[in-house]
Amino acid sequence: MTRITQDMDIASMLAALRQADGYYITNTARDMSQSDYKNRILLHTDLMAAPTREAAGYFSLEITGGASVHVDILRKQVDPFLKLDLLRQAMPKTMFQTLCRGLNLFGYRPYPANVIRFTVREFAKYVDVWRTFDFLNHVPNMQAVLEEVGKAGKINEPCICFSTGPEHTDAYYVAKVGEILAVTGEDITLCIKNHGGLGTPRRIGELVNAIKQAYPDLIIHYHGHNTDGNDVGRITEAVLNGAKIVDASDHAFTGYYGPPAVLTVIQTLKDHGKTAVGIDEAAVIAASDAIRDQRPHYAQFESQIKGFQPTVQIHKLPGGAMGSSLEQAAKGGFLDKMPDILHKELPKVQEELGNFWSVTPGSQILWTTAVSNVQHGRYESPSGDLKNLLLGKYGPFPFYQPADWIYEKVFGEDWRKVLAEQGGAEAISDMDIEQERKTLAERLGYEPTEQQLVIYLQHPNDAVNFYKFEAEFGRAYVLPPSIFLRQGGFALGETMTFRDHFGKEHLLEVGPVQKTEDGHTNVYLNVDHHERVYVFEPVKPAGAAPAAAKLSKEEIAELAKAGDFRAPFAANVSAVSVKAGQEVAAGDQLLVLEAMKMQTPVVAEATGVVAVVSVKVGQSLQPGDKLVKVDVKE
Amino acid sequence: MKTKILVANRGEIAIRIIRAIQELNYEAVAIYETPDRDSMHIRSADEAVWIGHGPRCDYLNIDKVIAAAQKSGATAIHPGYGFLAENADFARACEKAGIIFIGPPSDVIDNLGNKVTARRIMAEAGIPMVPGTQNLKAGDEGVQEAVEFGKQYGYPIMLKATAGGGGRGIRKIEQEKDLKDHYAMARAEAKAAFGDDSVYLEKAVVKPKHIEVQIIADKSGTTIHLGTRDCSIQRRNQKLVEIAPAFQLTPEQQEAISQTAVKAAKAAGYFNAGTVEFLFDNGKFYFMEINTRLQVEHTVSEMITGIDVVRTQIKLAMGKDLSIKQEDIHLRGHAVEMRINAEDPKNNFMPEGGKTVRVYRSPGGYGVRLDGFCYQGFTIPQVYDSLLVKLTVFGWSWNETVDRLRRSLNNFVIIGPKTTIPFYLNLINDPDFKAGKFDTSFLETHEHLFNYEEDSSEVNKLAKLIAEIHCKGGNAYAA
Repeated sequence: MTRITQDMDIASMLAALRQADGYYITNTARDMSQSDYKNRILLHTDLMAAPTREAAGYFSLEITGGASVHVDILRKQVDPFLKLDLLRQAMPKTMFQTLCRGLNLFGYRPYPANVIRFTVREFAKYVDVWRTFDFLNHVPNMQAVLEEVGKAGKINEPCICFSTGPEHTDAYYVAKVGEILAVTGEDITLCIKNHGGLGTPRRIGELVNAIKQAYPDLIIHYHGHNTDGNDVGRITEAVLNGAKIVDASDHAFTGYYGPPAVLTVIQTLKDHGKTAVGIDEAAVIAASDAIRDQRPHYAQFESQIKGFQPTVQIHKLPGGAMGSSLEQAAKGGFLDKMPDILHKELPKVQEELGNFWSVTPGSQILWTTAVSNVQHGRYESPSGDLKNLLLGKYGPFPFYQPADWIYEKVFGEDWRKVLAEQGGAEAISDMDIEQERKTLAERLGYEPTEQQLVIYLQHPNDAVNFYKFEAEFGRAYVLPPSIFLRQGGFALGETMTFRDHFGKEHLLEVGPVQKTEDGHTNVYLNVDHHERVYVFEPVKPAGAAPAAAKLSKEEIAELAKAGDFRAPFAANVSAVSVKAGQEVAAGDQLLVLEAMKMQTPVVAEATGVVAVVSVKVGQSLQPGDKLVKVDVKE
Repeated sequence: MKTKILVANRGEIAIRIIRAIQELNYEAVAIYETPDRDSMHIRSADEAVWIGHGPRCDYLNIDKVIAAAQKSGATAIHPGYGFLAENADFARACEKAGIIFIGPPSDVIDNLGNKVTARRIMAEAGIPMVPGTQNLKAGDEGVQEAVEFGKQYGYPIMLKATAGGGGRGIRKIEQEKDLKDHYAMARAEAKAAFGDDSVYLEKAVVKPKHIEVQIIADKSGTTIHLGTRDCSIQRRNQKLVEIAPAFQLTPEQQEAISQTAVKAAKAAGYFNAGTVEFLFDNGKFYFMEINTRLQVEHTVSEMITGIDVVRTQIKLAMGKDLSIKQEDIHLRGHAVEMRINAEDPKNNFMPEGGKTVRVYRSPGGYGVRLDGFCYQGFTIPQVYDSLLVKLTVFGWSWNETVDRLRRSLNNFVIIGPKTTIPFYLNLINDPDFKAGKFDTSFLETHEHLFNYEEDSSEVNKLAKLIAEIHCKGGNAYAA
């Protein structure tokens, strides 16, 4: 019975996995953070847990990928590569695992092949196990990643995304596994990606068994979520039917939508005579003990709604999207409509749109469409991403194409023509990476590293903001959540100690806060026994700005007809496609807006000439803000 | 009733003078314009007279200042530097009103204020001078005169406004073909700035040191000097750092230049305190001008001689003769003055007026002197100059003085406006400065002095984030 460690070669690892009588465990800390804490668990906490997690003897620690790369720079202000480097130093033996969205990498839309390969190469320096999926189970969408991981000598773990319904048969999935193995060969670990925690234990047991019957030597890694509270049941059946690796995480932080507790899995399977290979139970407990007192600092990110949600079997939202969906509903003021959205509209939309897998970015498309359908009428205001889905830009529908009436609703009477002309996956041409490097150098004011370039290629504006944050505020990962995530400020006289990135210990004491007559705020801090003062500009009280006259949806539509394009909703500008002076025809794309991870193009409604472009890429907009003015030709 | 002296100035120099007046057990009267209503100099004085809304025009208004003196019962006026300090009409108005003007008589100010007259007086007295001309004729004839001067002495040459001063109204001409354009502009500018379009020429001394001598003369004709000052470190001809004595000169050179200054002052019939300025180049020195006023940098001469220049000025103006002779003056150690200005050195020394000094903490201790008017909560008026405080440091050796400067600069905490402090910290760590190698081209040849970061320590960055989390009640970067 061997523990698998990072320094082993792949052949002996796979051999150990195949020979194991018991099973191995992946600690999916990243998925727990994403599903139950809106991705906010800080590197500080992961570093606290590092020695005991290392001692626990996991097959791997899933600590990067998914939305976490983006959230690292956007909300946690930590360099995703520095994070891996520091964790590697603290955990030399444990393999690190990522979750990669195939063509979409760690983002929400497809990247050019050269960007995908460059990104995989840089991350593969730290990441040992690459779990890769595509929300349509369209294997070609994963190909570039699979190839590059193979070249880097790391473990490929392609996924079959799992869901339920009449089309989701064993025969379908076994065939899909065959498609994958045709690309990768059998020296992989195959993941059953049950991102919603769907199906009963028995259903999962059957599926594992079916795959094992077809491919007896294939190593199966079962990934699930505990949304309905029953993932330990599914894990048990998976292992009893031959899965060799399963996912769980530290009980001190387990919640409702992420992984179940490692210890529960161990205890349950022990009763079935199955041993967790390489696992030190005492260390598993110690890891939770090491970070338990940190959890209250993350309470603000835990779900608004407490309790397991067995209705996930109806709405099928993935664990990773549960928290953010509820948050959106609360912020958008439609929490009361949630039962309708989740239990009626969402299942309906799923069926109508082809019963594909509700996982990024498909889950966002399903969710926004359902919300929009309830709020604005069914398919009345389709998002750009829904249009792309219907046009087959993401890949072919796995089971059936949505009904004609949906196409007609979304694209109008001429939908067949639109589909014929624009349908099908678009070849994405390579990006001029050297040109991007120059642009980044200009924006940063210095020559970027390869790692900075990788992050920039995926999230240009957020990457630049992060590197500027780092220059201004230092390496903030050293701050514990009690400081970094503190709400309501600190107490007068409160002291805090931390060790900076360079190993120097510091002591801060909070002094008085002074408001000046002109509205500035002086914050006095005693920093390593030296008094310092930090001056902050007056903050405009909310609502103090003259409220812009709000335009109704109808007014915005009327203005657009006259060539005066306004933002229809709060959004960021993700692309500007026209310049002043340019001629445009009806249907030409003027610019693209992005809101809640979804892209929506704004298109010209009649022939004309662009008079003014009022926005820049990256700009954030309020509903009614001016976008583009087109002088419409009569 | 105590004798009252009116201080016809503002800011740090007003306070400097008020201190001397109060030490002499007289009463100090301040004047102020509306934008200066929160200025410290008003609070330091025994009484204050509001003279108008300004800005600047009321401090420059002779009638209003005389009226303020009369209204308050002041019998003497100290003009400080700038504003009316070198205005002969003002000195005459005081004389006419029976008010003691603390400075030289009006005719001396007239003579020395006119560059051409001054040069004539000095030439007659045999004072070495940079080759130059009388006032040039207007129009093409003037250009022709200039062309001939250029041919005789070579380029570059300096085109100077006769009525200019303090580094203003000077143009450097690099070659003959530029003369025609510059000539007309220089005259127009001189007219606009000084009300007189007369201009004259001087040969440019390239990369000279700016050396000056503090002199004091009493009415009986005793004229003494307080040694040399090196004011070479300037930006756009405005001094930033002044050093006494000019220690890179040999003792013989210092003595020669000081004696020449005394001779020049005597030739001008000088009375009270003044400064004789020279250009120094390769062992040679040339007379530039005599400033007929107290100078900003008088503090460094005070530090190395122990003589209170302002107190002496007042006593001399009140009719006393000098109680000390030249042989009583001993130059001890080194003194450096740095002008802590509310300016952004990185942005071409752009003034930071309008900003509020949120925190002000100043250095102290042995050998440290501060002449300022800054306090916590003070909003720097935009309409006056940007000098906040002069740091003058004394030390026995040059090394000790530089060490003390560094310590003192580091002890300042000024939050609100940007200041010249980080630039000075860079300056005093420069090897050339430490070695005493500087001339008027220092800033141009040492551009790296402008490369500094405000405070780049990791803990300061993190503390700033923590302060922001505290101030806003949450972390906006984690929201």
